[in-house]
Amino acid sequence: MPKRFVLALAASALLACPGRSTGQEVFSRATITDDLPNGLKIITIPVQPSKVVSYYTIVRSGSRNEVEPGASGVARFFEHMMFNGTRRIPRAAYDAFLTRLGAGTNVIATDDFTAYGIVFTNPDSLADVIKTEADRVINVESTEDSIRAEGRTIEGENFAAVSNPDRRLFEILRAAAFDKHPYRRAAPVSLTDFRDLSRRHADSLLYKKRFYAPGNTILLIAGDINRDELLPLVRNYYGGWEASNFTLQAPAEPPQSRPKRAHIEWPAKTLARLAIAFHGPAYSDKVRDKAALDLLASAAFSSSSPLHHKLVLEEGACLSLGTNFPNTRDPALFVVTAVIKNDDDIPGVEDAILKELERLQHELLPARALAEITSNLKYAMADSLSTTDGMAGTVAFYLGLTGDPGTIHKLFNLYDKVTARDIQDMAKKYFRPENATIVTLKGGKAK
Amino acid sequence: MKASLKIHLSGIFLIGMAAWFISCFRENPNSLTSEVLQVNNYPLVSFRILLKVGSAHDPAGKEGLTRLVGRMLAGGGSATMTAGEIAARFFPMAAGVSLIADKEMTVFSGTVHLDNLEHYYALMKDMLLNPGFRQVDFDRLKADQLDFLEKTLVGDDDETLGKEILNLVLYEGHPYGHHDAGTVESVGRLTLEDIKVFYKEHFLQGNIVIGLGGGYPDDFLTRVLADFKKLPEGFTPGLDLPQPRAPRGYEFIVAEKRTPASAISIGFPITITKADKDFFALWIASAHFGEHRQPLSLLFQKIREERGLNCGDYAYLEHFVQGRDTFPAPNHSRQQQYFSIWIRPVANANRLFVIRETLRELKKLVAEGLSEDRFELVRTYLLNSTRLYAQTLSEHVGWQMESAYYGYMDFLNEVPYALGELTREDVNLAIKKYLNERNVFISVITEDGEGFKRELLAGAPSPIRYAGPSLPEAVLEEDRIIQAFPLDLKPDNVRVAPAAEFFRKAGLPGRPRGN
Repeated sequence: MPKRFVLALAASALLACPGRSTGQEVFSRATITDDLPNGLKIITIPVQPSKVVSYYTIVRSGSRNEVEPGASGVARFFEHMMFNGTRRIPRAAYDAFLTRLGAGTNVIATDDFTAYGIVFTNPDSLADVIKTEADRVINVESTEDSIRAEGRTIEGENFAAVSNPDRRLFEILRAAAFDKHPYRRAAPVSLTDFRDLSRRHADSLLYKKRFYAPGNTILLIAGDINRDELLPLVRNYYGGWEASNFTLQAPAEPPQSRPKRAHIEWPAKTLARLAIAFHGPAYSDKVRDKAALDLLASAAFSSSSPLHHKLVLEEGACLSLGTNFPNTRDPALFVVTAVIKNDDDIPGVEDAILKELERLQHELLPARALAEITSNLKYAMADSLSTTDGMAGTVAFYLGLTGDPGTIHKLFNLYDKVTARDIQDMAKKYFRPENATIVTLKGGKAK
Repeated sequence: MKASLKIHLSGIFLIGMAAWFISCFRENPNSLTSEVLQVNNYPLVSFRILLKVGSAHDPAGKEGLTRLVGRMLAGGGSATMTAGEIAARFFPMAAGVSLIADKEMTVFSGTVHLDNLEHYYALMKDMLLNPGFRQVDFDRLKADQLDFLEKTLVGDDDETLGKEILNLVLYEGHPYGHHDAGTVESVGRLTLEDIKVFYKEHFLQGNIVIGLGGGYPDDFLTRVLADFKKLPEGFTPGLDLPQPRAPRGYEFIVAEKRTPASAISIGFPITITKADKDFFALWIASAHFGEHRQPLSLLFQKIREERGLNCGDYAYLEHFVQGRDTFPAPNHSRQQQYFSIWIRPVANANRLFVIRETLRELKKLVAEGLSEDRFELVRTYLLNSTRLYAQTLSEHVGWQMESAYYGYMDFLNEVPYALGELTREDVNLAIKKYLNERNVFISVITEDGEGFKRELLAGAPSPIRYAGPSLPEAVLEEDRIIQAFPLDLKPDNVRVAPAAEFFRKAGLPGRPRGN
C-alpha cells in the first residue's frame, strides 16, 4: 500500500563528478552576512525546504585563550555557565524553555572556539529563541561560588574519561610536544585548575569581558528562516551588548629542537597504541601547507593507502591506522596513530610509519591518487552538508575557525591547486626527526 | 496488545520534496521484503539491507558467529575483489558498508552520492551476494573480535563494560544472554566453514528486507530486487524466546578492576515494546525519569545538577543505542525489552551513595508517579523532540524499517496522536503495571570488589562528603535520608568477579547462580 509521505530533506546543491577543478562548488548555499555596530556578526542561511531551524552562538574562544597564569580551565567553566541560567532567565526557566521546544542541543568545544547550537522544529519560536539565547551569552555569570560549585560538577564529569586510554595518550602527547602554547593542555582540565580559578575570580571576569563579547562572537542561523524578519529581533536583543576590543596574543611555540619520547603503562588490559607527532601548520585557506598535509595524510594513512593495506589487511599487525590533524587557529600537531595488536610489534610499526613519511619526501604522489583524495574529501563534505543541522554544525566549525563562511569554498579550491610537488615539499619541511614526539602505550596484565 | 495500524497524514512538516513511502508487505514468508523511500531529485541514495538474523540466532557454543559473518561481508572482500581492492574503490566516493549487529537483526548500511550510485551498488551487491570468505580475512577479523573481547571491551571504556555486563545478567540462560561478539572461548572455536554454513543457512530471501531511499532512478529498485531474488527462497523460523528471569530483590554483579571511578548500570526485563499500546504512556515515564542527555531527566537533576557527582544520569525504556547527536539509532528492534538506568562514573567513595539515591528515586517513581506539571512538560518535549529523530535520508529509511518491525505504517508520525490521547493517570497506571522498584539487577565496575561487597552487606549508612562550597540545606537533609536507604542484601545478592574474567566463557564468571 503506497503512502504519500511528506518529507523535507535539505538537499545540498552538490558536485556532479569527482576529480579536481571541476568548477563545482562543494558548498554553494547562499549565506548572508550582517554586522552590528558592536561587532557581532550574523550569518543566515535560509534552506527551503527545511523542517528545522539551527541556531549557533559561536564564541571564538577556547583553551587557546587561557593565557593568563592560573586561568587554565576558564573556557570550560564558561561552557558550563552557559547552561546555568542568568539573573534574568534562571536555569530552571532556561531548561524549561528548551524542553518545551523539544530542542536538540550541541556544544562544539575546541581549543579555539566554543559553539553552542540548538536545533528545533517550530520556526514560530524563533523570536523567543533569539531573546533567550541573547540573554544567555550576554549575561553569562561568573561568581566565586559558581566557580567552586561548577568545579565539583566538572570533577564529576572528568570521571567519565578515566578508563579511556586514547584520552590519556593525547594528554601525554600534547604535554610532551608543546612547551609554551596553551595547546599543551588537553581537556579535561583538572580540579586544581578550578581551585586556582576560584582564588582568581577576577581573571574569570576579565576572560568574560574579553572573549564573551560581540566582536568575538558569531551567530549562525540556518534552516526555515527569513533573514529580513529575524534581523530586527537580533538588533533589538544583541544591539546593547558592550563591545570589547581585546586582541589575543597567544604565546608562540618555539621550534622543537630535539626528538621527544614518552611511554604510558595502562593499568587495564588493552591493545597497544602508538602516536607519532610532528609540529605542523595552522589552518589556512590561502597558504598551502595545511591543505597539502591533509592530502598527504590521506595518501599515506587512509583506508585505501598502501601502508594501511600492509599493516592492517595483509600483515594484521594493526587493528587500525590513521591520522589526527585537526584544523586549528595556531600551529598544531600532525599525528599518525596506530592501534597495535601485539606489544612486540610497536617498534616495527613505528619504523614502517617513519619510512613511509621518509618515502613521501623523495617520491611524488601519482596524479590519480591526488584526484581520488580530493574526490573523497568533497564527497565526505557533501554528505555532512546533506541536512540543515548537519550543514549548520559544519559551517559553525569553519566559522569558529576563521569567521568567514566563504572559507569552505576557498579550502576546496586550495585542495584543487595543491600539487604532488607541494606535498613533497611539505613532507620535507615538517617531517624532520627533531620535530617529532613519539608516545607509546601498553596495556597491563592486571585484572 | 498490538497497536492498530493507523494512518495519519500529517502536514506538520514543511512540504518540499514529495516522496513515496512504500512498504512492500510480504504475503509469502519465503520471499524478499522492501521498505523504500524514493525522493525525486535528491542527490544521495541510502541503503539499509536488513537480515532478520542476529546474535540470538548464534548456535550454542558458537556465540559471536552472526557478528563475524557480518564483519566478513562488510569488511572481508568479495569473490571477485579483496578487502583492500574494495576499500580502494570505495575511497574516492567517501562511502562504505557499515554493520549494525544486534540480537535479532544485522544491517548493512551505506549512503552514496548519486554520481557514484552504480559503482557503489556493484560493490555492495558483490560483497553481500558473492562473498569471498577468504582464510586471510577470516583470520584477521576473528583475531580482531577476540582482541575486542579480551582487551578493548574490558579495558577501554568502563561504561560500555557496565552496560554489557548488565545485559549478561539480564538475559542469563536466554538467547539474548551473550554479547554480540560472543565469548573468547566460543570465537576461538569458530572456523571459516562455520561462516560459510551460516551464510548458506540464513542468507535467504525471506530473511532480507531491502531498505532503499533517495534520488535513485526509476528502474533501480527493480534491479536491486531482481539481484536479491537470486538468493534461495526460504526463511529462518522466528525466535521462540523464553521469558527472562526476573531479579530477586537487588541483585548486584560487580566487575573489579583498578579504577578511581565506578560505572553503574541498573535494569530489569519488562514485558512491553513499541508494538504495545501502553508503550507511549511508559515512554513519558522513562523520559521524565531519565531522558537521554537532557536536563529534563530527573536523575540528571538529582545526581549531577544538585550534587555534581558525575557527568549525567539517564533511563531507557528500550535497548538504547545513540545515533546522530543524542537521538536514538533505529534498527536495534527486539521482541523483548528491558528498562535500564545509566549512571555515569562516580568517585569510588560515592558509589554506594549514588546507588542508594538512584534506587530511592526509582522507588518514588513507582510509588508516586508523575505530577500533572511534569506529565505536560514531558509530553510537550516528546511531541517536539521526536520530530528531530529522522533528519538524514538514512535515518528516514531506518525509521521506516523500525516502524514495519513493530507493526506501524509510520511510528514517528503516530507519536503526536498516541501521546495526545494520554492522561497523567494513564502514565501512572503504566508505571505500576510495568515497572518495579524492588527487583532489579545492578552492575558495577569498581575497585576492591570484595570491600564493596562487605559495604553492601553491612548496610551501614554511606554518607557523602562534597568538595567545594556547602549545598543547600534541603539537599543535605535529603542526603541524610539517602545515605541510610535500606538495601537488605544477603551474600547471594552480590556476585563479584575480576573484570577480565567476563566474556571469556558463556554466562557470568564466578559461582553459577541457580535459577
